Amino acid sequence: MASNVKKKKNALFLIVFLVLTVLCWCPIGYGSYGEVGLIMGMPSWAFILLLIGAVLFVVEWIYLFCTDLALYDEDLEEIKAALHATITEETILEEN
Amino acid sequence: MVAVIIITGICLVSVYISYVAFRKGFTKNADDYFVAGSSLGYFVLIFSLLASFLSAFSMFGMASFGYRLGYGSLYVLTANLVPLGFLWYFMHKKTFLLGRARKWMSMGAPFGERYGTPMKIILVLVVLVASIPYVVAQIQGIGVMLEAMSEGLISFHMGLFFVPFFIALYLMMGGMKGAAWVNAIQGVFFSVMVFVLFFFVMMKNGGFIPTMDLVMAKHPTLFQLGWAGGKVWSYPMIFGMASAMCLGCVCFPQPYMHAYSSRSARGLKAMFLSFGGICLVVITLPTLVGIAGNIIVPGLKGVAADKIYGLVASATMPDWLAAFAVAGGFTAAMSTVNGLVFGNATNLSVDIIKTLRPETGSSELIGLARIFVAIIMAICVAIAWNPNTPVAELSIIAFGTVAVTFFALWGAYYWKRATATGAILSTLVGVSLNVGFFFAGGKAMVLFPQASLFQLNGFLAAFIISGIVFFVGSLLTTPGKTETKSLKLFFHPILTQ
Repeated sequence: MASNVKKKKNALFLIVFLVLTVLCWCPIGYGSYGEVGLIMGMPSWAFILLLIGAVLFVVEWIYLFCTDLALYDEDLEEIKAALHATITEETILEEN
Repeated sequence: MVAVIIITGICLVSVYISYVAFRKGFTKNADDYFVAGSSLGYFVLIFSLLASFLSAFSMFGMASFGYRLGYGSLYVLTANLVPLGFLWYFMHKKTFLLGRARKWMSMGAPFGERYGTPMKIILVLVVLVASIPYVVAQIQGIGVMLEAMSEGLISFHMGLFFVPFFIALYLMMGGMKGAAWVNAIQGVFFSVMVFVLFFFVMMKNGGFIPTMDLVMAKHPTLFQLGWAGGKVWSYPMIFGMASAMCLGCVCFPQPYMHAYSSRSARGLKAMFLSFGGICLVVITLPTLVGIAGNIIVPGLKGVAADKIYGLVASATMPDWLAAFAVAGGFTAAMSTVNGLVFGNATNLSVDIIKTLRPETGSSELIGLARIFVAIIMAICVAIAWNPNTPVAELSIIAFGTVAVTFFALWGAYYWKRATATGAILSTLVGVSLNVGFFFAGGKAMVLFPQASLFQLNGFLAAFIISGIVFFVGSLLTTPGKTETKSLKLFFHPILTQ
């Protein structure tokens, strides 16, 4: 159950990341060719681009530091022990 | 003269920092020398990764881009790099975890364990070949800058020896720890100097908005997309450039080396996240400085526009502060040379020599890496000797060439069905296409949308074809002994939790 919720949350973040990435790589939906109005001295699409970049940065921050989806130092020992057990097992098998 | 003193000072401080790392015993064994004993904290990691990527192009090149092409330049190296926060995390989380468990020290290690020795060696050679023109471009840039800043006191050719000598010295002495400390200090220095320059340039005309209003009145196209009849900053052009620069960053040696060197998961995440965030600010500023340069130093054309960063600094700041501002760009070039040369020297000694001669000891490996640093640096200085060598153009394909290893890396960590044949074929096809496109149509074919490539640029076409080859090649072949054996570790249930 918890794993399903985690998967759904992960998928949601992934979709948000992909949409914002496309917007950071191309002015689809907020840019236009030719003359353009200014916001704070910048063309409106450039201002929106920087804003989208800032929003993506914040979403990444939330994903990496404020959810249970990313890797944390508390998990490292357990992961390290599990990986070492597999490596040792493989080494023994190879030696035999 | 002030500029020469400042640059010599920066070089001497860099060597001293590396000497401290050496004296403190941070280069005693291979693990210490190559990956700093996995001991780097997040502050050093953040600025070291930043400095190892941001080159002279990020400062001088982006100011020149802004000057000539306007606001569309923001899609080249600023907001388009923010996705690296999650891209690097997804692609290199396992590099960090498996690297700690398996004591990996080079970027060929994951490829070797997952796909076997041939793929590991191909990868090391591809990265080396792609890195050399990029390093040469930096060294040439250093030579040109040094000549200009010293007003001819240090000639271009003397400059080619002067700084690379110091870089080789501190890389050979301090290893990854020394290099990371030096990078971090240089990263902080050039970030601060960019802010100072931005402040002075904008205050010259009463602030940012009044300055931009003046530029807008004289050069309205710099504020537009799709100008010059839809040729400059068309949507396909923007997408091609933005994605190339971002995807290329995923596959260079620096993120691997820094992932291995991270002390903690927190440091790893902070480093990956901060890179895009800092680029969003630190590279936007020189771009805006370049745009504002149109009203401070008007009329520069072509290559002459590359000097706009230094020219606006001279026009708006006291001489000594202008020298510091230009020295900031200079340190950016130094740290990129540093990161790439060290990464490649590590790959050569650990992935090639250790593979061919498994009995090679730890101290012998360190000695060999030091020799490789000297050899790579000497080769790059030799190529840079002729300032007319089109290395700047060749360096453009470096990112595209390295980016084709993206699928092999993704498959290693996330696709059980990936095979060595698929990985090798996709890498070779991708590299050949990038090189082929470059020789067929020059940098325009690699960078700009082509009707013959369905409005994709050469980089994206090569990247997509390389991906198709990877999937088809893997599905048509059966995973061998190495691939099957590697699944147990690379797809361990604990890694997917």
